[in-house]
Amino acid sequence: MSYIKGLRCRECGREYPKEVLFVCEYCFGSLEVIYDYEKIKEKLTREAIASRPKNLWRYRELLPIEGSPTDGLNSGFTPLFRAHNLGKALGVDELYIKDDSVCHPTLSFKDRVVAVALSRAKEFGFKIVGCASTGNLANAVASHAAKAGLKSYIFIPADLEAGKVIGTLIYAPNLIAVEGNYDEVNRLCSEIAGKYKWAFVNVNIRPYYAEGSKTYGFEIAEQLGWKTPDHLVSPCAGGSLITKIHKAFKELHKLELIAKPKTKFYAAQASGCSPIVTAIKEKSEIIKPVKPKTIAKSLAIGNPADGYYAMGTVGDTGGWAESVSDDEIVEGIKLLAATEGIFTETAGGVTVAVTKKLIEQGRMPRDESILIAITGNGLKTQEAVQPHIGRPARIKPTIKSFEEEVRL
Amino acid sequence: MAKKAVKLVKLTFSQKLIKEPVIFTMAQKFDVMPNIRRARVTDKIGEMVLELAGEEKKLEKGIAYLIKVGVIVEPIVGDIIE
Repeated sequence: MSYIKGLRCRECGREYPKEVLFVCEYCFGSLEVIYDYEKIKEKLTREAIASRPKNLWRYRELLPIEGSPTDGLNSGFTPLFRAHNLGKALGVDELYIKDDSVCHPTLSFKDRVVAVALSRAKEFGFKIVGCASTGNLANAVASHAAKAGLKSYIFIPADLEAGKVIGTLIYAPNLIAVEGNYDEVNRLCSEIAGKYKWAFVNVNIRPYYAEGSKTYGFEIAEQLGWKTPDHLVSPCAGGSLITKIHKAFKELHKLELIAKPKTKFYAAQASGCSPIVTAIKEKSEIIKPVKPKTIAKSLAIGNPADGYYAMGTVGDTGGWAESVSDDEIVEGIKLLAATEGIFTETAGGVTVAVTKKLIEQGRMPRDESILIAITGNGLKTQEAVQPHIGRPARIKPTIKSFEEEVRL
Repeated sequence: MAKKAVKLVKLTFSQKLIKEPVIFTMAQKFDVMPNIRRARVTDKIGEMVLELAGEEKKLEKGIAYLIKVGVIVEPIVGDIIE
């Protein structure tokens, strides 16, 4: 049963049928899925959700597919927990972590969007899926496509780190290393998406793909006992995730599953690529594209397509934005590991470090609930921390050597 | 016959370029037809979303000209990387 009404332009509001479209024909604005909330309200109750398997499809009525979900049946419903130790370290009373570093199967929140994108792509009849990426998305598309039995084409810049190449190649996709920089890979993929009948998850089926991020927000509300946190710190790359978490809260309120959300949203970026943060701080309506230069490569989008909407989310909710240096990112990763035993990737280092900064600045009060979004796993970006974490103590296999080295 | 092409692009102009007729100059110089669909301009920065149509080679040259004079040119495809 479908609850999708169609697509709507986020700029001019024109409506379109639920087809393979991604920009408005008139103003070239991006398109968003709209739903029949009245119909959803009859079906989607807290009890109905609680009775379903613990994966991202438990909110299926609010996701853009027509039939039954086919992909990512074990994805989502990642841990959300009270981070007492980190809270103490940051000097706040009530701190939570939503931990997608353990999202199944490729250890990042991209499993959510790809699960939805592939289910929808199959409904459209696509037999080949694709994406261009430098990491998490490549892993997720390659993995989910392998499981789904779909052919996949993944485009990466030719100089990508070996770890990321292996983390994709293992699923045996058609991995194409393009001799060019990120922008050139981008342009090539847009041309390929236009020429071949393939489902490029974040190009021609982007409106459907992006909706998968809402499940991160649905889970936050459900796992907090159908409440939303007072403050939420989200990483920003293209700016989609923060807007979709906000949309998720608004939808749950529309369906009367939660009270009116009062969450303030905070955009977190690396200083080496902070076009959204800069625009928010300068109160500019226009985001100026930048050339990324940061270790937080999963956030390194210099021209964020949803940046304008991310600014809207921050502004509408009374939040703020902050960026952190590469050194601060590494310290953030180390702090989370030392206090909560979680090894996050650089994007998680960004959200932890930005939270610390916002608390110190007095932007976020210490006595209200704060949630930090952790969206990926540190095992994927080991090179970022490797020079900063010391070495093992090397000894001979004797007690004497041990006691000489380790002074107890 | 020369191959025709259409490109959807987003242009970002810095403060000093806002007052310059760069789109008009490009259109005239390279015989490219611009069709503006959306624009936002503040006192510091300008952003324009438009369709550019023309002969493929001339279109490429026109875009190269925009980049040369300092306009940031981005294709309209969303964020493909990540």
